[in-house]
Amino acid sequence: MSEIGKGELLGSYRVMRTIREFEERVHLEMATGELEGFVHLYAGEEAIAAGVCAHLNDDDRISSTHRGHGHAIAKGCDVKAMMAELYGRQDGLCHGKGGSMHIADFEKGMLGANGIVGGGPPLVCGVGLSAKVRGTAQVGVSFLGDGASNQGTFLESLNLAAVWKLPCVFVVENNGYAEATSSRYHQAVDDVAKRADGFGMPGIVVDGHDFFAVHEAAGEAIRRARAGGGPSLVECKVTRFYGHFEGDQQTYRAPNEIEDARATRDCLERFAQRVVSAGIVDPAELAAIDGEVRALIDEAVAAAKASPWPDATDLTTDVYVSYR
Amino acid sequence: MDKIAVGVIANPASGRDIRRLVAGASVFDNAEKGSMVLRLMAGLGATGVERVVMMPAGDGVSARLVRALEGRTGDFAERPMPALEFLDMTLRGNATDTASAVAQMLLKRVAAIAVLGGDGTHRIVAKVCGDTPLCTLSTGTNNAFPHMCEATIAGLATGLVVSGRVGPEALRREKLLWVSRNGDPRHDAAVVDVAVSGSRWVGARALWRIGDIREFLVTFASPSAVGLSAVAALLEPVPRSARHGLHVRLADPARAASVLTAPLAPGLIVPVGIAGYRRIEPGEVTRLEGGPGSLALDGERELELAAGDEVGVRLGEGPLTIDVDEVMGQAARRGLLNGACPSLRRDIHHKEAVP
Repeated sequence: MSEIGKGELLGSYRVMRTIREFEERVHLEMATGELEGFVHLYAGEEAIAAGVCAHLNDDDRISSTHRGHGHAIAKGCDVKAMMAELYGRQDGLCHGKGGSMHIADFEKGMLGANGIVGGGPPLVCGVGLSAKVRGTAQVGVSFLGDGASNQGTFLESLNLAAVWKLPCVFVVENNGYAEATSSRYHQAVDDVAKRADGFGMPGIVVDGHDFFAVHEAAGEAIRRARAGGGPSLVECKVTRFYGHFEGDQQTYRAPNEIEDARATRDCLERFAQRVVSAGIVDPAELAAIDGEVRALIDEAVAAAKASPWPDATDLTTDVYVSYR
Repeated sequence: MDKIAVGVIANPASGRDIRRLVAGASVFDNAEKGSMVLRLMAGLGATGVERVVMMPAGDGVSARLVRALEGRTGDFAERPMPALEFLDMTLRGNATDTASAVAQMLLKRVAAIAVLGGDGTHRIVAKVCGDTPLCTLSTGTNNAFPHMCEATIAGLATGLVVSGRVGPEALRREKLLWVSRNGDPRHDAAVVDVAVSGSRWVGARALWRIGDIREFLVTFASPSAVGLSAVAALLEPVPRSARHGLHVRLADPARAASVLTAPLAPGLIVPVGIAGYRRIEPGEVTRLEGGPGSLALDGERELELAAGDEVGVRLGEGPLTIDVDEVMGQAARRGLLNGACPSLRRDIHHKEAVP
């Protein structure tokens, strides 16, 4: 595998740490009642967003899921504006109108979190078709979960992407649960990647807790798509550290399941241990990033709370029709 | 007397690595693995094996097998079939499942273990199976150690061996490459090859960039294999039966004195620069260049090496495997399958009763 430079390693660690801190803080803020609506936390799955998006630039497009904070951060969205968006404030990334489940930033190629399970793959087929027709080198990446992989939209998108040979990559974040239903009860096979076979595209499986595994596999899938090789499916087996949504009692999970995952499959711990053992990164460098990220999240929360609420005139902005 | 039992390991996870993306390696359907076990059991049953002990395999393997067993009709349902017993174990979805299953099978005194998987699955079994014979069945085109063989025939051959009708002359002693690391003499092992990669990270595991490989050792070198065994064979073929192996050092093809064209993976034929090679003898320890880098065992990066790590490889004895061609040859020459096996006699009686 081509070596990853120290700068990129530290950058990827910063992305993963930012996602983790963002999500852990949202978990706490939700408990205070100050954050309205639903949030679905990405903690535990950071290596996937970071490993995939490390190969993308602002011209590339991603579609996300209801669990979209990690994808947005990894794609380069402004973290303070994201936090303000969750608080529904004017300074939010979508001026407070999108919230957690519709957060988007087209300038960064983030087409949006999506409340429709399985809603993202067709969007990315559109991205791929657009890139192909216009002859650009853009790639579209659709993140989706194992639950979404049972939706017709996903299967139709695989077919469309394959038959038109679109520059698309489908990244399945298989955390083992469709909301509260174990994959054992909603899929007849363990590997979603096998579904790629039926549509004539390669499908592979990697450990979604392992940044380096995701980074290498996604790099090849994206390189292939960019070079005109067509779509592929990368399934990342992973564990989410929180429930389907904040407030989920998670009675469907085994005792100690999350504690075990945090103790043995924490992608940040694994990453840190390996880059330090390899002698590439000093622990103090990681600690410095940790401190900077904590400060950033503190500032983001404070700024979000201080940001004004949208007013009545904002109702008619950011819509397709001019009301003025 | 205890019923003769044969263990079965069918790895549901084999065949989904990055080589499907970068090299066009084959995919192998898990339903077919379940069907293979059924056909293997038919061969075992026809030769008098009465019990199969199987590692529970997810992802459709066990389910397909059970459905097929329950769904047998007509003549097929009348054929003798060993009783199927799944091991009582909690699956963790990684290599420890296979090692645990083999340990349980040995406690249950299975007479042989049939393994359906790739080089990696066989590596795990080979490390812990002792002298219990293995029937190796490849589930894909990316393997050098297991055989591409019809499971029915493999079942017949295994049954003839475990029932004592074919003797130990049909068993082959394989070789293992034992990897020592920082004083641990048996840190890990490989059945086909050990390679030092310049890639620092295990990453997506499969070894598929020839430029990353600095040197490698093989237990055997087969010109008709795929992977590092094939690369070595282009220098000097080494039969599986030979006592020695090979140690090959690679170089940049642009500067190497000798360049080979070799199949590194299915569909991936690459130029390979050779710096030199030599034979390795049993018991000899070969010191490998340390880190930074990684160590690949049987085609998969397994260990990340830090600078200063001391790594050695020793060629030693490996598991016993059943030589299916030899067994079936003996069966033909000695008439071992002439007449009806006892377990099939009721078939003949049934047919005789039909006018």
